[in-house]
Amino acid sequence: MVTTVAGIVANGILLGLVYAIAALGLSLIMGVMGIINVAHSAFIMLGSFLALGLLEWAHIDPIASFFIALPIFFVVGAVVYRLIVTRVERAHQTQGLIAMFGLMVLIENLGTIAWTTDTRVITVGYSNANLTVGPLIIADAPLIAGVLAVVLILALRLFLHSTMVGRAIRAMGQNRDAALSLGINVRRLSAIMFGLGIASAGAAGVALAMIFPFAPQTQIQWLAWAFLIVVLGGLGRVESTLVSALMVGLIQTAATAFLPFDYVYLILYVALATILSVRRQGLRGVARRAI
Amino acid sequence: MIRRMDAVKLDVQKLVAGYIPGHPILHGVNLKIAPGQITVVLGPNGAGKSTALRVLAGFLAAESGSVRLDGDEIVDLPTYRHIESGIALLPQGHSVFPDLTVAENIELGGWILRGDRRRLHQAVDDVFTRYPHLRDLRNKSAGSLSGGQQRTVEIARLLVSNPRVLLIDEPSVGLSPVIASQVYRELTALKAEGRTILLVDQDIRAAIRIADYIYVLNSGKNEIEGDRAAFEGDLGALVRGWLGV
Amino acid sequence: MFALFFLPSRHGQRRIVGGRLATLAIAAGLVGYGAMSSNLGAIDTLGTVFMYLVVTQAWNILGGYGGYLNFGMVTYFGIGAYASAVLFQYFGLSPFLTAPLAGAAAALFGLLIGIPTLRLRGAYFAVITIIITFAVQLLMLDLPFTQGALGIFLSPLAANPVFVERLFYFIFFALAATATTLVFAVENSNFGWALVAIREDEDAAEVIGVRTTAVKWTANALAAFMTGTVGGIYAQRILYIEPTGTFALDISLNVVLMAVIGGAGTWQGPVIGVPLVLLVAEALRVTVTSEVNRVIFSIIVILIALFVPGGIMGLLQEVRRRMRPLVRKSAGETMPRTGG
Repeated sequence: MVTTVAGIVANGILLGLVYAIAALGLSLIMGVMGIINVAHSAFIMLGSFLALGLLEWAHIDPIASFFIALPIFFVVGAVVYRLIVTRVERAHQTQGLIAMFGLMVLIENLGTIAWTTDTRVITVGYSNANLTVGPLIIADAPLIAGVLAVVLILALRLFLHSTMVGRAIRAMGQNRDAALSLGINVRRLSAIMFGLGIASAGAAGVALAMIFPFAPQTQIQWLAWAFLIVVLGGLGRVESTLVSALMVGLIQTAATAFLPFDYVYLILYVALATILSVRRQGLRGVARRAI
Repeated sequence: MIRRMDAVKLDVQKLVAGYIPGHPILHGVNLKIAPGQITVVLGPNGAGKSTALRVLAGFLAAESGSVRLDGDEIVDLPTYRHIESGIALLPQGHSVFPDLTVAENIELGGWILRGDRRRLHQAVDDVFTRYPHLRDLRNKSAGSLSGGQQRTVEIARLLVSNPRVLLIDEPSVGLSPVIASQVYRELTALKAEGRTILLVDQDIRAAIRIADYIYVLNSGKNEIEGDRAAFEGDLGALVRGWLGV
Repeated sequence: MFALFFLPSRHGQRRIVGGRLATLAIAAGLVGYGAMSSNLGAIDTLGTVFMYLVVTQAWNILGGYGGYLNFGMVTYFGIGAYASAVLFQYFGLSPFLTAPLAGAAAALFGLLIGIPTLRLRGAYFAVITIIITFAVQLLMLDLPFTQGALGIFLSPLAANPVFVERLFYFIFFALAATATTLVFAVENSNFGWALVAIREDEDAAEVIGVRTTAVKWTANALAAFMTGTVGGIYAQRILYIEPTGTFALDISLNVVLMAVIGGAGTWQGPVIGVPLVLLVAEALRVTVTSEVNRVIFSIIVILIALFVPGGIMGLLQEVRRRMRPLVRKSAGETMPRTGG
């Protein structure tokens, strides 16, 4: 019994860590820039296929791909920011939402054209291996993905809290006018923030591909999942996203151990509905709280 | 009201600016801001006072007109260049970054110095020396401070880049009278250090009390101007009646 | 082309009459075509156009006028389809009879989810609607009376296929005409203005006394009812209902693409957007895959969001605005600008 519980906890934490990086970019872009990037999961999907492509063509291990994805997707994010976001930032919110929605549909369908709708898995040496710690058995793939997630979370937190640029980014999210008045180049920092958000989405895609099967058209489920975590945890703080993701991971592993898989989702949806109903203001109160 | 024209720090000429192209809020405003003095801009809501400040701070591009700092044209320069040339804006309302600590807030005041760490640290340290009570609060989040303390953080943050010209937008809004009067005293002290101050204010009496020269804008145009003595006399009554105070 | 006739006519009574006549002529033409044509493929496609028109107009009420984008319209559609299918399965009732019940089921669900979600501001609502689709899909897989992934079969109508296609053609046509008229009425009502006020500035709307939550709930329930009704009839058309296909996200995405391309927030928008997207898609399908045409439309949507927020309708209105000064000048109405 104790072993079962320990196993659930260990696996739940690992899963939660990976969920955390899947949601982090969404949460930070939302919290700092006030943009709900519905194309977030499309970049997660691209990350997964990047890992697959690098593995198949260049025999690059997903662990390396995780770090390769970061600069690539950072640039992609900065470009998307310049081409699309800067044009809708100041416009009505629905316009930005529709633009990102169009981008999501575009990426998904380009993905389908390039890679068909087949479901893929990434298989490497450690995909089916296990680590045995005393009576505990932990699969290697989630363990590695979890460790990578921790590295990314710590790096992002360190950047946002311990560098001047990071603090300026957070400052910009808290009071844009004041940041401008100090000479902070809000445009450039927004591009950096957006780039970081997309970079973490891409890297999350690599990590998720180590654990879950994936296909272009299933990406939107990750949007739902990431959004769920953001809403459960509140907005824009690395810590709150992490805590909420760990909770979701633990609930999921615990529920899967005792209930049919589908019910896990239902439990989380009910939790989401409850939270939304309880916070009468919805997220309006938290919306402007920054990281 | 004869004005010394030889010493002009900031010279604003025929400034036209607004938020929507073709629909300017300022229709050719002229301001001459003398060095080391407090120049106050008054006017009813919508007169264009804050818009003028935003242009002077480099937030907002002008449609036409000129802004000269010590004779150099700066109207088209971005905000950071304005700060580099010694102009800094204190925006209206609360402007601390609530989730950052006091120290982090103040350090960001030296954003344009970030390339030179030693200078930045020195500048931050100088500001802490100037406001010693902030040193004790340095690790508290700025959002947890009282309104007066937050205002001090904002002024301290403004001073890190050691600006020669301060653009102050409605400094007493939302503050208790005691703290507001402290803020005006602080502005006088900054003037005594030789800094040039351009103050936009709704609190006409308080502003006139510390002003050297006063402009009144209405509907984006110059209405009247004069020195403090003129405004404390008959003109003052005129303006007060006109502004409905 | 014919879209030009749907331009809002602000000046010139003759234009209004012309526009109405054109609308009537098109409607009459479509009725005639449905009755005469024996081209099954064309009738089938047009039937689908009408079906989407209802759902897109439904989306338009809260999404176009109110600015609350629903990315999960298929939820209402699917619930309507399931309501009909279940009523058929257990009570043998024809979906034609139970379509209003299907609509009511969807409306009830719309109200239910509206309570927590419509308190949220626009963007949150949009993402939540996607999540709700997944949740309902799962529910349909797990509820005892829906037969899970097995699905529900309905019996086909005992009539010749041409007649059946015509029947659906006319039913969907009638519903589309009703939906469009309804949205036209909404556009010119206080309810419509309240929605627009919410879209432009919800806080301000609240301050001036718009009962924002009630307006949003009503718009959402109305949209759910319209979509659910169509979903119910769709069940009879498709004859087989199962969770994956019935709750296909494609339907949700298409509806948004169509509305945005045509011009959200105008009654003409969907009338332009739906046939445009579906007919172009139909034409392209001969040469390219449906993914390719989705790529094309998503690029168009991005461009519209960036450069022409009003969609095709917005573009047409812009053209009109540019033409108007010319008209005025010729009528001698322009006032000389005084310098100042």
